[in-house]
Amino acid sequence: MGDPILLGCLATVILPLLAFAIIMIFTWRHHKLSLAISLVASTIPLIIAWIFFFKLAGLKQPIIYQFDWLISDQVKVPFGFLLDPTSLLMLVIVATISWLVQVYSIGYMGGDPGFGRYYAFLSLFAMSMIGIVISSGLLQVFISWELVGLASYLLIGFWYEKFSASEAGKKAFVVTRFGDIGFFIGLVFLTLYFGGLDIHSINTAAQTKAMPQWLLTTSALLIFCGVMGKSAQFPLHVWLPDAMEGPTPVSALLHSATMVAAGVYLMTRLFPLFAAAGPTALTIILAISTITLILSSTIGMVAWDIKQVWAYSTVSQLGFMSMGLAAAGLAGGTLFAGAFHLTTHAAFKALLFLCAGVFIHHFGTNDFFVMSAQGGRKLTIPMVTVTIAALALAGIFPFAGFFSKELILGSLAHLPNKIWLILGLLGAFLTAYYAFRVIFVMLFPRPKPPDWVQAQIDAAAGAGHGHGEEDTGHGHGHEAHHGVPLVMSLPLLILAFFTLILGFCQGWLEKFLLGESHPHDVDLVLLVAAVGCALGGMGVAWVDWGSSKARWEGFLRNFPVLENFFIQKWYMDHFWRWFLNSIIYGIFSKWFTYNDRRVVDGGVDAVALGTIGSGRLLSFIQTAFVQLNILFMVLVLAGLGIYLLMGR
Amino acid sequence: MLIFNQLSTYLYLALALFAIGLYGVLARRNLIAMLISIELILNAAMINFMAFNRFLAPHPAVGQVITLFIMAVAAAEAAIALSIIVAVYRKLKTINVEQATELRG
Amino acid sequence: MNFLSSLTTPQGVATIAFIMVVGATIAGALIAVLARNIFHNVLGLALSLMGVGGLFLYLNSPFVALMEILIYVGAICIAICFAIMLSEPLYLSKPPRNPLKIQGAVLGAGAVFAFLALLVKQTKWTPAPERSADWSIETLGHYLLKNYVLIFELVSLLLLVAMLGAIVLARGGRGSS
Repeated sequence: MGDPILLGCLATVILPLLAFAIIMIFTWRHHKLSLAISLVASTIPLIIAWIFFFKLAGLKQPIIYQFDWLISDQVKVPFGFLLDPTSLLMLVIVATISWLVQVYSIGYMGGDPGFGRYYAFLSLFAMSMIGIVISSGLLQVFISWELVGLASYLLIGFWYEKFSASEAGKKAFVVTRFGDIGFFIGLVFLTLYFGGLDIHSINTAAQTKAMPQWLLTTSALLIFCGVMGKSAQFPLHVWLPDAMEGPTPVSALLHSATMVAAGVYLMTRLFPLFAAAGPTALTIILAISTITLILSSTIGMVAWDIKQVWAYSTVSQLGFMSMGLAAAGLAGGTLFAGAFHLTTHAAFKALLFLCAGVFIHHFGTNDFFVMSAQGGRKLTIPMVTVTIAALALAGIFPFAGFFSKELILGSLAHLPNKIWLILGLLGAFLTAYYAFRVIFVMLFPRPKPPDWVQAQIDAAAGAGHGHGEEDTGHGHGHEAHHGVPLVMSLPLLILAFFTLILGFCQGWLEKFLLGESHPHDVDLVLLVAAVGCALGGMGVAWVDWGSSKARWEGFLRNFPVLENFFIQKWYMDHFWRWFLNSIIYGIFSKWFTYNDRRVVDGGVDAVALGTIGSGRLLSFIQTAFVQLNILFMVLVLAGLGIYLLMGR
Repeated sequence: MLIFNQLSTYLYLALALFAIGLYGVLARRNLIAMLISIELILNAAMINFMAFNRFLAPHPAVGQVITLFIMAVAAAEAAIALSIIVAVYRKLKTINVEQATELRG
Repeated sequence: MNFLSSLTTPQGVATIAFIMVVGATIAGALIAVLARNIFHNVLGLALSLMGVGGLFLYLNSPFVALMEILIYVGAICIAICFAIMLSEPLYLSKPPRNPLKIQGAVLGAGAVFAFLALLVKQTKWTPAPERSADWSIETLGHYLLKNYVLIFELVSLLLLVAMLGAIVLARGGRGSS
């Protein structure tokens, strides 16, 4: 145990797990104690992560600590830690965001009866996410992956007494399970035909073409199924917007650094595998991510719930990242564009959600029109930081999102088929539009709110604080909070700082991740197009929502069919409902129920009935004449004995 | 060779006692008569032990010890059997084994 | 004459006594099994057990013979008498015997007898190579309280349990007091 690096790895995983166990078993009643335990167990990994990040920068060879956990003939399943630049970067992101969220939650969740439980779940979440990040084998990743699923289920359904919350938790759990089936089959394929699940050797084999092409394609696509579930790619994205039912800090955690990032992170971790997967697989991935990007951006344009908007923006940005990775794989590029966008997105998306959390906490509503009418812009720190984050999201210079988006668009531009680039630009335009729709509405409230907003406000007031309680989940009315507590504003400032500087770290980060920095030839046309799209989106948003003459209707009002289509979320929820009802319940469940009733239960019943029947059949032996029984016994014994003696 | 100094004499004698006892167990309907027959069977076993002890065993004390144990066990068995018989009589008003058919299958 | 004179020798007397003992045993056993009166059965059993006690004398162990008479004739037979008095009255008419059942019982007992007789006949009995001649009661006592003390204790426990069980059963179970 003398190796400090190994010790550090162990500590990052085990401490949060210990915190989870201790809080759940012993201290969950004591809020302060639980908080202290959880904070300690997240601060130490944070420090370790940053120390690793700087000390191990410039790593030439990945550091691997592993032993063979399951051995079966040629198949070896490793267990251990794999530290390479990608995982170091992700480790820092995960540790930082989860620490900030924990600090922020002190304010947000204060007074909640489930405070201790909440921190236990956060620790579990941190532990499993760190497990995904530094695991050395895919099975270990899968275990942590499922633990993340479990933790997200627990956190989304944290206010389980609320029906919609527990439903949303279930939905997240089940929908991601769909993808995980694919992931698991992919793992089985790799185990069967490659003979191991060691990430490093899989990547090496993929790079040196030591695997057959069909295996590369199949396993990449199957693993991408898991990514689709976790990273909320079309058509499995439906769980993410509903995941808003959890406490807002949880949404920040889910959407920036942990749950959804896990999918994209897996893609970057296995980037050699994906890059070698062949054009068919990559084109499928690219198409799925593009659909995701466009779909979620358009839904984001019509949502009225601030968390929903950010949720759909997350989906779209995740689509963007996997577009970047797939495009890089197709064009022979590097994983940097996707990983860089993952990093910057983690910062500004966490910021967006934490700001949204402040507003929701303060006003007791999720509707940003209502927030605007009630003076949302008076909360200076959140308003400034949310604007910064939105600028980053839209990709405006000099905020972080600008640089990473530029890179992804650059790798899209390398593709021979320009349709991807055009769709990417369209996505950027829509992103800027819906982000600034929220910002402008909040910044420039009407002197007199429109009727439909007033109706919302009246409804909220009429229900007392019911609406507020329903959304923030604890019993404080919003009058109780004046100003923003320090524990809540400090994380905002830290994240805003990162959002501002991360873009300029591009060269350094690239050197960190790839070992060398490529000079990027700046494509001026592309730059102009990208910035033009972003500014265009902002401009349209200004016309629609910002300027004093804006009607707060949006240009989509002119296309009622489209608008309705978007409001109905492309009918994806309807599709899944139909799918669930007719395919799953109608066909599979029926079969399974039939199988269960007739084969499983029937089998057991048949065994029981057979026993009873044969017992009935043989019960004639029980004549109740003891002496007859003894006679038979004696005769058989004597017969046997004589037979044996004769044989001698 | 004297008749009472031969192992086989005792073995055949025990065998006869055993067979008589077995017949009693198989044929008698009175529970007490069956118990008496069982006592005969046990005595046949005891004669066997004592005979082997007398003619074959390395140490003569061991067989006697075992015989004594059999006696003790037989006493316990008789006590239990008799009380069961009394209980059966109280319950069924008979000690005829052919009429105690409550467990017929 | 040779035969008659041989009867007067000590071996002859012993042989005659042995035959009488054997006769008592078998005859007692037959009475115990065949007589229709249950009380005769008990008397036959007592006779047979006395005979077995005599056999034990011939087998060199007067102590066990004494125990046999004490425990079996003195205790068990008396207990059976009590049981007879507590159960069915003797004057009740007995149902006729079932000839099929008698035949079955004869067959079963005969089969076992044939088997065991065959076994006794075919086996070549060999005595243990070293045989002690120590038949004293002291050795028996030492064996009981040293080598076999655990079994001894267990048997006493068994007797205790049997006694308690007999009391519980005869009282009519837990329900009645």
